[in-house]
Amino acid sequence: MSGYDRALSIFSPDGHIFQVEYAGEAVKRGTCAVGIKGKDCVVVGCERRSTLKLQDPRITPSKISKIDSHVVLSFAGLNADSRILIEKARVEAQSHKLTLEDPVTIEYVTRYVAGVQQRYTQSGGVRPFGVSTLIAGFDPRDTTPKLYQTEPSGIYSAWSAQAIGRNSKTVREFLEKNYSKEAPPSTEQDCVKLTVKALLEVVQTGAKNIEITVVKPNSQLTNLTSEEIGKYVDEIELEKQQELDKKKKRREEN
Amino acid sequence: MQAIAERYSNQSALVKELQYDNEEGLSNDFVNGRSQFSHLAPHIALPPISTPQEFLRAHTDDSQNPDCKIKIAHGTTTLAFRFQGGIVVAVDSRATAGSWIASQTVKKVIEINPFLLGTLAGGAADCQYWETWLGAQCRLHELKEKERISVAAASKILSNLTYQYKGAGLSMGTMICGYTKKEGPTIYYVDSDGSRLKGDLFCVGSGQTFAYGVLDSNYRWDLTVEEALYLGKRSILAAAHRDAYSGGSVNLYHVTESGWVFHGNFDVDTLFWEIKAKEGSFNNVVG
Amino acid sequence: MDIILGIRVKDSVILASSKAVTRGISVLKADDDKTRVLSDHTLMSFTGEPGDSVQFAEYIQANIQLYSIRENCELSPHAASSFIRQELAKSIRSRKPFQVNVLVGGYDTRKESPHLYQIDYLGTKVDLPYAAHGYAGFYTFSLLDHHYRPDMNTSEALKLLKMCIEELERRMPMDFKGVLVKVVDKDGVREIEDF
Repeated sequence: MSGYDRALSIFSPDGHIFQVEYAGEAVKRGTCAVGIKGKDCVVVGCERRSTLKLQDPRITPSKISKIDSHVVLSFAGLNADSRILIEKARVEAQSHKLTLEDPVTIEYVTRYVAGVQQRYTQSGGVRPFGVSTLIAGFDPRDTTPKLYQTEPSGIYSAWSAQAIGRNSKTVREFLEKNYSKEAPPSTEQDCVKLTVKALLEVVQTGAKNIEITVVKPNSQLTNLTSEEIGKYVDEIELEKQQELDKKKKRREEN
Repeated sequence: MQAIAERYSNQSALVKELQYDNEEGLSNDFVNGRSQFSHLAPHIALPPISTPQEFLRAHTDDSQNPDCKIKIAHGTTTLAFRFQGGIVVAVDSRATAGSWIASQTVKKVIEINPFLLGTLAGGAADCQYWETWLGAQCRLHELKEKERISVAAASKILSNLTYQYKGAGLSMGTMICGYTKKEGPTIYYVDSDGSRLKGDLFCVGSGQTFAYGVLDSNYRWDLTVEEALYLGKRSILAAAHRDAYSGGSVNLYHVTESGWVFHGNFDVDTLFWEIKAKEGSFNNVVG
Repeated sequence: MDIILGIRVKDSVILASSKAVTRGISVLKADDDKTRVLSDHTLMSFTGEPGDSVQFAEYIQANIQLYSIRENCELSPHAASSFIRQELAKSIRSRKPFQVNVLVGGYDTRKESPHLYQIDYLGTKVDLPYAAHGYAGFYTFSLLDHHYRPDMNTSEALKLLKMCIEELERRMPMDFKGVLVKVVDKDGVREIEDF
């Protein structure tokens, strides 16, 4: 070992901060989260860790959290670390409302969360957050959907559709193929369906391990029930089957 | 060797300032933009006495103790009102220290930035200092958020500040006037009690009652810009005429969607005779 | 002196607060709102030292809203009022206490019952059918003692409130520029226009 991976505040000779990069590894091992902007909605979906036999999925905390009435945050990485970020973001959202008399913008929360993450890459005696987040919602009095990502290093960026966490590369490639910036999903249903489809690329067990939240302007937030998600899953599977049958038929005809 | 290393490490003022060295105090995040604002507000040392306000009054209040050594510049008439064409802000320019006229040429409108005006009543120094400080905060907000600060937020920065110093002897009565796309023309009254009120029409200062008299009776929402400017000027004149602590000249401003416009300085002496002749008013004065 | 009054009836709470803000010898504002919505079914009206009152109310409002975001559940009026009482009790023992008196009106959606609490700056909390702070009580409590019935409906209560306000307008030496009236019931908080 070179020793450069021990202390956080020390660069390696080639300019890396290993602890921050290791945090990135923790993110890659976390369950997948996907965010997709529709024409007039944002959908955030994530994979839930497979529930054990005796676990109660109904009251196990969700991986998608409300930051304020118009902002949601989902993450990939260390669950316990994320709670700190969520709590800080919630307090900041209220504090912003109190001092500026205006709810936070999505960019502001993102910048704040990324700022906290950055701080934990530049202080002695602390460990960076092993978390990447997707922050989605609508700015106050605005109808354009917003979607941002933050990383353990404190980088933040805006996206039309993005996936983070385990197998995120597969999902991102799927999204790059199936999402068009010029013609984003026009309805809420299409947007949810694309999200579920993207997640199904990497989630084996189907509806019961998927969580979906839809955000619409004016703080309209809806969490889909697993029955509702199940319907989308069935629909997608049926389509896939039909596609397969068609191909088969064509092959037989040839 | 270790001793030398220790002496040179962790000594940077910047590291201390940003609290990078404070491992336990991470909850005190410097990333939280506004806490950094407070770094810009210098810490003002308070006298080591139980109630600074009473101490200050004992040594500065001319009405109770004419022999007091410190005389703070006071006495003002300022007004601002909203109407169809934006906001009119009008102020006098006299500063008095006790019964002594300290100046006839005080600028009582503080141009916080091209879209925000603040008026000055009470302690001249307090208003000037904190409203200039407010200008810095507004600029920082603009740079960070890439958007002009709302009048609501700007006035709240100031009222939170005055509230923080409540009881320490600040003396301010100010109107923060501005125009933003989101809010339209907006006026907030902020004072050193920590009050902050949104409204259509305010007069502040020792001459407020005289100004209210003229302003209230002639005010309409659909005033033209010309009428509104005249009404503002006329109301200050009324106060300058009756209130011994107001006078000098009238400064007039108009706030619109594209920022504020200065509409001139009018000497009360000439203005008085001009208006008296034009209106046939002020018949208590034989001219 | 500000007027704040509250009446609790069968299925709602009504809070009335004067619209005037007076500084020195002038009325600076005649359409002030001395209430803050704490949550969907809880409303607080306040009076006291200028600066302190709004500062305290908005601090409470932010904290109660933070609670509902965190826990994804609305605080009951009883819980909210206990929190406010505790904050005032902490404050009175601090270096610079908040000099604020409040009324908390709320509708408990789980118990399906309205509640009215009177809390003063010392941290005294009482659950009452009708309450006031300041001079308003001196003129109106006799009327309320006489006419109030616990099984009144909202419109009867508004009539009784009207009686109280008329008495205040008749006898109070100062003009308080009328009152802003808000009702809290199972549907949330709403303002009564042209009371």
